[in-house]
Amino acid sequence: MSLTRVSNFAFGLALVLYVVAMVAYFHHLAFRRGRVWAVASGLAYAGVAAHLVSVVARGVAADRVPWGNMYEYSSMVGLLVVAGYLVVERVAKVRSLGGFALGAAVLAMAGATMVYVTPGPLVPALNSYWIRIHVVAAMTGSSLFILGFVFTALFLVQDRKERREAARVEAEPAPALAAVGSGGGLPHDLATSPDEPADRADLEPRRGWLPTAAVLDRLAYRTVAFGFPVWTFAVIAGAIWAEQAWGRYWGWDPKEVWSFITWVVFAAYLHARATVGWRGRRAAVI
Amino acid sequence: MQSRQGTPFQSLSSVWRTLRSMRMALILLLVVALASVAGSLVPQIPNSPQRVAAVYRDHPLLARVYESVGLFDVYGSWWFTLAYALLLVSLASCLIPRTRGLIRSLRQRPQPARELESLRHFVAATVPGRPEDAIERARRLFRRRWYRVSLGNRNEQGLAAEKGLAREVGSLLFHSAFFLLLVGVVYGKGFGFAGQVTVVEGGVFTEAHANYDVPPVEGRFFSEGMHRGFQVRVRDFDVRYRRSGLPRDFVSRVDVREGARTVRTDEIRVNDPLVHDGVKLYQSGYGWAPIIEVRQDGRLLAGGPVVFVTDGSQDQRRAWRGVVKLPSIRPQVGLEFRLLPDPESFVLGAPMLEARNPFLGFTAYRGDLRLTAAQNVFTLDKRGLQVWEEGGIGLGQRAVLPDGLEISFPELRQYTQFRVARDPGTGIVLVAALLVLVGLIPALYSSRRKLWVRAVPDGDGTLVQLGGVALQRRAAFEEEFRALARELVGVARVTERR
Ligand code: HEM
Repeated sequence: MSLTRVSNFAFGLALVLYVVAMVAYFHHLAFRRGRVWAVASGLAYAGVAAHLVSVVARGVAADRVPWGNMYEYSSMVGLLVVAGYLVVERVAKVRSLGGFALGAAVLAMAGATMVYVTPGPLVPALNSYWIRIHVVAAMTGSSLFILGFVFTALFLVQDRKERREAARVEAEPAPALAAVGSGGGLPHDLATSPDEPADRADLEPRRGWLPTAAVLDRLAYRTVAFGFPVWTFAVIAGAIWAEQAWGRYWGWDPKEVWSFITWVVFAAYLHARATVGWRGRRAAVI
Repeated sequence: MQSRQGTPFQSLSSVWRTLRSMRMALILLLVVALASVAGSLVPQIPNSPQRVAAVYRDHPLLARVYESVGLFDVYGSWWFTLAYALLLVSLASCLIPRTRGLIRSLRQRPQPARELESLRHFVAATVPGRPEDAIERARRLFRRRWYRVSLGNRNEQGLAAEKGLAREVGSLLFHSAFFLLLVGVVYGKGFGFAGQVTVVEGGVFTEAHANYDVPPVEGRFFSEGMHRGFQVRVRDFDVRYRRSGLPRDFVSRVDVREGARTVRTDEIRVNDPLVHDGVKLYQSGYGWAPIIEVRQDGRLLAGGPVVFVTDGSQDQRRAWRGVVKLPSIRPQVGLEFRLLPDPESFVLGAPMLEARNPFLGFTAYRGDLRLTAAQNVFTLDKRGLQVWEEGGIGLGQRAVLPDGLEISFPELRQYTQFRVARDPGTGIVLVAALLVLVGLIPALYSSRRKLWVRAVPDGDGTLVQLGGVALQRRAAFEEEFRALARELVGVARVTERR
């Protein structure tokens, strides 16, 4: 039981660290102090460490993998969202989105506390290695989708702003900038496209607070493109498990329905992106 | 005249075009999904006619609405079939031209381009040496980077190269596999069935339509004769519990018999079904089945295992309930039983995990059993009955009632429940699902790019032009292009157009 205590304490600590880091990230977004960013990032890393402790302690306390119920699942999703964001921060050198990603993680964890259960063994049907594989994949996939969703939502905000600015610039007698924004009027193929070089490895060319819409759009696409196969795999593993346990690989129970709808929606997103070259805006609405 | 002929044709072709669009395919996919959800929420005539009847009785208006849109039989309704068929047609209609296109571009060599200067990425420089050498160097360089290269015609020194057909192949594999998956689902459902069966220890189940607890759900192309007819004899059943009283493991030990011959002996556990002759048996439930004998003046009225149920199947603290009906005596008698497998634990409020001095309490009712109305085997319809006698017996004891009735409890057994299913499409679906995954990776992560080189004599040396485009991942390609340009012509002026 004391391990459970450790786990709960570490969970609370991680939550507090995330909240503070989130505030710091937003501060950085607003005032652009490099030092504040460093603090925010450090806090987020510390939060991840505490969160890891919590999860591991929980696993040891229950003597099984720590994702057997909704509480543990939500907690893991929160952990993966933050970890995923920190990877993005490293790789894409985008610093200003931390607040939003952490916000999503904090929500997931707050949700977790609402469905808290003391650690215990699983019913026999859940005792299969397929479920472990399935849940790991599902957690990774949903974390990536959450990140993708956050990026996409921010993209919409930023895109609208840029278009308004572009319109203003166009109205003035110096139209040179107009095309730079979000492809005002150019054929999509030539206009800003998912991997627009202008924003490469970006040192954050920005318009106001956020990275440009193109960067956000690309981040969103990358995250979703990574999440989609993972999610597909999760659904397949879940179906294999359901087949083993209940003799049907698909039964349209609410979980299955939602995972399927999520899958189709993100497939539609990828379609919109990959084919018509509807970049961003319309795809994002999906 | 002409316009009158043209209009239906035009509208037909516009329908066709809509159908071929992938938006339509995705919408149809969602329609099918939502319909299936409805099918899982509203009771369906094929699997639960009684519940459908209950809706008609309790909510006649709602029932009429459901009926009019076919919600009581979603999978058999014309619109579900139509949506599914349209989905398949739609997918097929975009698969065929894409396959053709892919085969064409696989066969073809990369095509030469005219004006390299207008390409998105372009670089030109004069290098020493003959044009042939420059081209040869480019060919080797591109080859090393896994491009498909084709040399230009004789009178001009040039080559074209491309890479990333894996994307097309993967994408096509993904879509075809998804198509196959949909086909596999229909095939499996159409030729499969699923049912539930309860077997007491020592009992035998013969795999046939009539022997299921409720009629099994059978696919549209499934006929009764397609049941396999083998027999499953349950030798015994075991549950093991954790200390907390939650079950840890269930095991049914069974013999499978074909005719008189036992063909195998096996165990069925949760997550570990028995597969025989294409039919799978899954451990799905268990409970107590005491053997209860009722005699009147020495004549056996009822005897054999009686399946007991519990309310709240996980909670072993409660008593189990069972019913015996005696319609052949006048007035009719109904017996309601309460089984305590382990009375001592019951008194302590602890779960009753094993049978220890089991106790069977009963209440006897007299009157009319109303057997003409719809029956539930686990309850008595008490509207025509009055309480008559009460009592209780331990294992091996008997109770004597007035009128020469005698109840005895010679043995306590367990029963086990199996979900029995046959789905011949499972293999197809599994393979298709894996192919979906396999196709997805290159489709999402590789990108198509094309390169062209032209070399013309320029004074002593050669003017080498290199142009390229990428259809995806342009940022990554830009770096690649720079590296190629460096190797081929040394650093030079690279133009980027956007
Ligand atoms: C009429 C039907 C369809 C057509 C014409 C179609 C066409 C396409 C095309 C042209 C691509 C882009 C390939 C590339 O980027 O090279 C694509 C991608 C994709 N499609 Fe479809 N599609 C259809 C139906 C579907 C359906 C029903 C799904 C499943 C939900 C789906 C899921 C996807 C996904 C996930 C991608 C991105 C991965 C990839 O590039 O293959 N598509 N589709």
